Amino acid sequence: MKRNLDPRAKLYMLFVVSIIVMLSATTPLLWCIRTMITMIPIMLLIKEKRYAWALRFFVLYALAMILTFFVLGSGSTGMWKAFLTGYCGIILQFSPAFITAWYVIRTMKVDEFMSAMQKMHVPDSITISLAVVMRFFPTIKEEYGCIRAAMKMRGSSLAGGNVWKMMEYRLIPLLFSCVSIGDELSAAAITRGLGGKVKRTSVVVLEMKSIDYLLMLFLTGAAAVFVFVKYWV
Amino acid sequence: METKKLTAKDFITIGIFTAIWFVVEFAFGMLGYLHPYIVAAYVVLLPLAGAIPMMLFYSKVEKFGMITIMSVLIAIIMFVTGMGFLGAPLIIVAGVVADLIARAGSYKNAKMIVISYGVFCSWICANYFPILVTAKSYRKDLLDSGFSKEYANNLFRAINSKTIALLVICCVLFGFLGAFLGKSVVKKHFEKAGIVQ
Repeated sequence: MKRNLDPRAKLYMLFVVSIIVMLSATTPLLWCIRTMITMIPIMLLIKEKRYAWALRFFVLYALAMILTFFVLGSGSTGMWKAFLTGYCGIILQFSPAFITAWYVIRTMKVDEFMSAMQKMHVPDSITISLAVVMRFFPTIKEEYGCIRAAMKMRGSSLAGGNVWKMMEYRLIPLLFSCVSIGDELSAAAITRGLGGKVKRTSVVVLEMKSIDYLLMLFLTGAAAVFVFVKYWV
Repeated sequence: METKKLTAKDFITIGIFTAIWFVVEFAFGMLGYLHPYIVAAYVVLLPLAGAIPMMLFYSKVEKFGMITIMSVLIAIIMFVTGMGFLGAPLIIVAGVVADLIARAGSYKNAKMIVISYGVFCSWICANYFPILVTAKSYRKDLLDSGFSKEYANNLFRAINSKTIALLVICCVLFGFLGAFLGKSVVKKHFEKAGIVQ
């Protein structure tokens, strides 16, 4: 039987990775742990059969790493080198969190997320809003793509080179469509009994399996080693 | 609806505007990696960029708590995207204060909304907080994790305990300016279309 990770384990993964991302790696051992942590979501993506994205993330991370350690040093100066160093730095720094977040958002269904949050006794206000935020990123991307296509068709993509106008022409239609999508979304949510006074039940039954515990244990261990090595050794 | 309690509809509104707002801020935030002075210039860029969606959001706010919840979401997003938790309490404090100010104008008074947005914008400075508190180790981390010396030097020339007051003031002032601009844009487009009353 095909089994996915429990959403709570995924959220925990996101939490731990964010902590590790915040503390930057300074020694080879720390880099090892960081890389290992980055590889977990990539492997999970492979398991979910998202090969293209797994490959993309892997290549991005590997490239940034090779550039940072073998081509550029912290002594590099000059416009282009500084630019490259900056970009490799940001990729190395933030991509673990980004990849994990991407994995979690793409593979976690909204109902799974809702019932997981409910089980963890997070207030509804936070749960519903966060679920909408998560669900909404792809929508924004889609809408934005449509707006861009429309602008291209009319030949107004650059708005005569006026930056403020360029922003206005993109942002206003985007806001328009988002507001109306939001109204539809609330109507749909209310028909499903969201915001009622009764405790909601869920179709998905969440259950922590051994693999979830294993992942959580491993992540906790990695984080503990990371913090320990960074501050006490 | 005359209830004081927040309903599911409100939560959805908060979620949508947080998402839009985040996309806008993220696009501008990325510029910071070009040059450290741009990191300091966030205090100008972000309040202006976020103003239009936020003013539309303010026009939908009617009850206490919506701006607060938004600030909690921002704190969570900042944490997940690796900005750290040191700034999180400050972000939420800014949100609560902004919420209280807007409530004093019962979410309708234009002047109060402008002030409230200015205060809300000071969350940006909460992200500088780790740079100030852990200045020494932060610098070392930057260098060790591959940023150039130039970048680190410039960053600390722009952001330190002396300039932080100025940065906060800039945030709030450009928040006011952004709020005026955003309000006029909302008026121009959305009130005509009947989306905002």
